[in-house]
Amino acid sequence: MTETKSGPRQERRSGSWLRTLALGRNPKTTLIRAAILALVCVVVFKCLLLPVRVEGISMTPTYADGAIHFVNRLAYLRREPRRGDVVGIRLTPPNGWSAPHIMYLKRIIGLPGETISFADGRVLVNGRILDEPYEKGPSNWNTDAVTLGADECFVVGDNRSMAKEDHEFGRAERNRIVGKALW
Amino acid sequence: MKWPRFFLLAVVVALAAWAWVALHPDSERQIRRRLEGLAHAASFGPNQGYLAKLAGAQSLAGFCATNVEVNIDVPGRQEHGLAGREDIQQAALAMRASARALTVTFPDVTVQVSADQQSAVADLTLQAQVPGEHDMIVQEVKATLQKIDGQWLIVKAETVRTLK
Repeated sequence: MTETKSGPRQERRSGSWLRTLALGRNPKTTLIRAAILALVCVVVFKCLLLPVRVEGISMTPTYADGAIHFVNRLAYLRREPRRGDVVGIRLTPPNGWSAPHIMYLKRIIGLPGETISFADGRVLVNGRILDEPYEKGPSNWNTDAVTLGADECFVVGDNRSMAKEDHEFGRAERNRIVGKALW
Repeated sequence: MKWPRFFLLAVVVALAAWAWVALHPDSERQIRRRLEGLAHAASFGPNQGYLAKLAGAQSLAGFCATNVEVNIDVPGRQEHGLAGREDIQQAALAMRASARALTVTFPDVTVQVSADQQSAVADLTLQAQVPGEHDMIVQEVKATLQKIDGQWLIVKAETVRTLK
């Protein structure tokens, strides 16, 4: 008898406990909080910190194939890109503040006005060898010297062990640089 | 006016606006839809028969003007050109014969329509992937479109080197 009487009461209690856990003590406040949180997430991850999944091996060993990273779109609001920065580069011309869905992830090795070339796998900036601690594998790349324009950076992946022909690298216009990789 | 009525009126106005935009799309929206259709026509699944392949290739060629020019210049590969719908159809058939399946999308599209609304340039990112395979092709493409007999058709398409 006792069990049959306390059964529905217990159910009601557990139901209200679940409801409190899911919606909080004040459902209206919880819904407003959830809406604000969703809005903040959309703004942050659609406009400011773009999540990217690395596809391919051109940035190994720094960025492994399949790894998830973030590109900070605010990084270059107050300063210009620097040598050594890993940046996201859009494939289509900029269209307002809209974020691209696909971008190259490359490292800046040349800044505007500099002359860049590869000689036996080493990067030469204005004829001087660039120290690149991030580059690990052997490389035998050779290219002609390229002088960058006033709004261009030279970008390349860290994996120079792969064939030069299979690796996208070269001059990138400043307005195509979306932002800097967070880490 | 009580707020439920006001809310209902706002919903009706929003629905009417949405219906108007959906039924009377501007040139840019028409081109974007056309490009979505093109990506769909370029994609194909496995185990297609010859007739399905032919229909798919014809559908793809239907997005192009009769005098279309296509120039493909990808690093590490020989430059390749196609001219006319027939070439497009043959290339699409050859692709369907060589690959098991293919999924094509244009995830980033920028459209600039001319002032007379008769021509447009679309800069797009092409993403192509063979289902089940890890590697995918990503390529910047510039397409020039013209409004011919009320339809937006591609008159020129060329690959663009993002990094020069």
